[in-house]
Order: sequence, then structure tokens, then C-alpha cells
Amino acid sequence: MTETYVYFIVALLPLSALMLVLQVNPLHALVIRGLLGAIAALVDAVLGAADVALTEALVGTMLSVTLYAIAVRSSLVLRFGVLTDNKDDGELFHLLRNICRQYHLRFKLISYPDQESLEAALRNKEIQAFAHEQDTNYHTITRVKRLYEILETELSPSITSLTYQNLTNSVEKH
Amino acid sequence: MNGILIAMIITLLIPLYTGFYHDEIWEKMLAFATISCKTAMMILVISVLRDDWMIGVVAIIVLSVGNAGLMLLAHLIKRLDEEKI
Repeated sequence: MTETYVYFIVALLPLSALMLVLQVNPLHALVIRGLLGAIAALVDAVLGAADVALTEALVGTMLSVTLYAIAVRSSLVLRFGVLTDNKDDGELFHLLRNICRQYHLRFKLISYPDQESLEAALRNKEIQAFAHEQDTNYHTITRVKRLYEILETELSPSITSLTYQNLTNSVEKH
Repeated sequence: MNGILIAMIITLLIPLYTGFYHDEIWEKMLAFATISCKTAMMILVISVLRDDWMIGVVAIIVLSVGNAGLMLLAHLIKRLDEEKI
């Protein structure tokens, strides 16, 4: 192997791997993973391993990226329950959207007709948190401990009061 | 002929740079599209240089599969963007 260009091509692989490691957003990292797969296929083909290059292109670029895209899409989401009559974009929802963007989550508002169905949805794990109006203020209840910690630091008490509801006891009863 | 390949490697660095420094997801997808095409073309050039048609066939498959994977991923990301609104 005397060709000089081989060294340049092989040097691209750690470069793109470093780019992948430095990504923080999971979706962006997925796209860079596809890019890494393309460069790995190039390196394999240049070094004479055509079969490995073919496998890398099939699995690395197409299959794993597509499967992980579906996994990211179905997991990194905050489903937030709200009553149908106060679905308009208030300050709370604007703030929540900003917090979700900061943590690379998607924010999805799901409206319910009354208070009972909101609580039932939280118990059945359809939503992670919900907010309802109490006097002039909002009251937010969440069943995820980590979400409670994030919201506690980011949201001021003047906008909403916050409660953590532990559902593990009720789950054990089932 | 080595000069041509080294020029191709340098052009490959441009989308790598844009893919890393732009925060928009579609910019990254564009970088991915150009890089998957460029790497496949480089494999094709190398296969012609070495007169090795096994690598040439792999290059064609990499070219088509790379584009197919890109389209699948683009559709998934597009659906994600629509859900946000």
C-alpha cells in the first residue's frame, strides 16, 4: 500500500468520529452517525475489504440510523396534559417549550375535557405531567422525578406551583 | 491520478465542516447527502484506478443505499418537525 491518498482517507475516520462524539442533540448525532458510516465504507473499500464496506453501508448508514431515528422519535418527548378550555399558549407553555428545547425534548400538548380525566391519564402513564388553573395561578403535577427536578430549577413559583406525585405505590397494587 | 483523489478528499472536508458547525438539522442532512454521494464517487474512482470491479459494484450499491437511507431519515425528521407545530 504505497499510495499517499490512503493516509488522508483513513485520517477522515477519526475526524468524523470526533464530530459524532461532540454532538449533544440526539437527532443531529444520528445524522452524523450516517456520515460516519459513509466514511467508514470508503475506508473499508480503499483498504480492499469490499464485503465489509458493503455491510457497513447497508447496516451503518441505513438500518441502524433508521431504527435509532424511530427510537429517538418515540422516546424523547414530554407529553403534557392540559384542560381543553385553557389550551391557548400562555406564559407557562411558552416557558415549557423553551425548557424542552434546552434539553432536546419535544413538547406535546394533549388536551383533556375535565380534571378527572387528566388525573386518570397521569395514573395510566399517558402523560408525564399536567397543569390546571388554581385561582389565578397554575398548578403543575408530574410523575417523573427528573422532570420535577428540572422544572423546579427552571420555573419560578410566581408562574406555577409544582408537585411531584409518586405513582410507584399505586402501580404495585395492580 | 493521486492528485485528483487528494482534491476529492479536500472537497469532502467542506461538507464535514458545514455539517459540524451549523445547528439546523436540514443543514446536517445536506452535508450527509453530499458526503454519501462523494464517498461513493471516490470508491468508484478508486475501483477504476485499480481496475478492480468488485470494489466498483460495492460503490454502486453504496451510492444507492446511501440515498435510500437518506430519504428514509429525511421522511422521519420531516414527520418530527410537523409534530412540533
